[in-house]
Amino acid sequence: MKENENNFESLRHLLALKRHEIPPPGYFNDFSRQVIQRVRSGDTGDSATFAEHLFDQSPWLTRLAQAFTMKPAFAGGFAGTLCMLLLFGIVYAERPDLAPQPVLQAAATSTSLASVTPASLAQPADQIGIVSSTNPVLSLQTAGSPFGQQNPLAQPVSLTLGN
Amino acid sequence: MIMSAPVTRTDDSEAPAPVEEEVLVKQARHGDLEAYDELVRRHQQRIYATIYHMTANHEDANDLAQESFIKAFKALKSFKGGSSFYTWLYRIAVNKTINFLKLRKNRVHMSLNDLDFNAEHDPDLMALISDKTPRRDAGLTELQEKLNAALMKLSEPHRLVVVLHDVQGQSHEEIAKIMDCNIGTVRSRLFYARQQLQGFLADYLK
Repeated sequence: MKENENNFESLRHLLALKRHEIPPPGYFNDFSRQVIQRVRSGDTGDSATFAEHLFDQSPWLTRLAQAFTMKPAFAGGFAGTLCMLLLFGIVYAERPDLAPQPVLQAAATSTSLASVTPASLAQPADQIGIVSSTNPVLSLQTAGSPFGQQNPLAQPVSLTLGN
Repeated sequence: MIMSAPVTRTDDSEAPAPVEEEVLVKQARHGDLEAYDELVRRHQQRIYATIYHMTANHEDANDLAQESFIKAFKALKSFKGGSSFYTWLYRIAVNKTINFLKLRKNRVHMSLNDLDFNAEHDPDLMALISDKTPRRDAGLTELQEKLNAALMKLSEPHRLVVVLHDVQGQSHEEIAKIMDCNIGTVRSRLFYARQQLQGFLADYLK
């Protein structure tokens, strides 16, 4: 440690220059009066923007920002995690078959088609385990024409009867 | 006048007696503005100096120092006395300054104060200038600009540690309390910051 201090001796001499930087003459004569005047006038001492206010009110946010500044790897990891979460969310949202899976499985185990009797049909559907779905039935959608003709128009047909 | 001579709580002759300060704080908490005026007078130079050295801009330092004192007055009711008023006030000023700097990172504009007359007779500086440095011809004003520019290249926490320790003479323990971190962190930040500064100012150091 002592060796380190010696290494920085010149730097410490140079930093001594900072102690000689002084504000304009008489600056401090009026400083406290200005502060008290602003307190009296109801000034909150907050010329801060919304973001500054947010940082001010949330010490954890300041610490997080400091951690990002001090450890770029931490910032990278945090951003990576956020991206992964976002991607997972998008993928999960685009697969509607994943969401109702547990319900369908439960329905399959509790009721089979063979067990449906005329008596059970009289009961409300949700009581016998039949689950309705509002998911679109993809197989019923019309497939596109291989010739690019999407909506063939009906042509009027004229028939002439022979004599 | 040396604005920000090294200060340690025990050695500083200007440091107020703790009991008296406690009384002033108690009076100020009950809305006594005269008592608070006295507290402002006692700490204005050190608070201003810290903010000034962090921002390298007199106008910004003036605004932030005033706002820090006003905010401290408004928050006095929440001051539990767990730390000294001085440390608590410093925390407010330092957090305000760091937040300010974070949001204005791309708008660094230096507005430096003049050097006092004693700068030319400071033994530390005389030693530096008289040494055979590669840039021994550099004047004090040029050195001042280069030094401030180098400090502004440091991250805010690193700059703060250098300012509090090497410029203002605060102890590691005091800095750890102000920055709300442990002493080891203060030491490692100080070492890293000095290394970086030495690199930035290589032309001006022997």
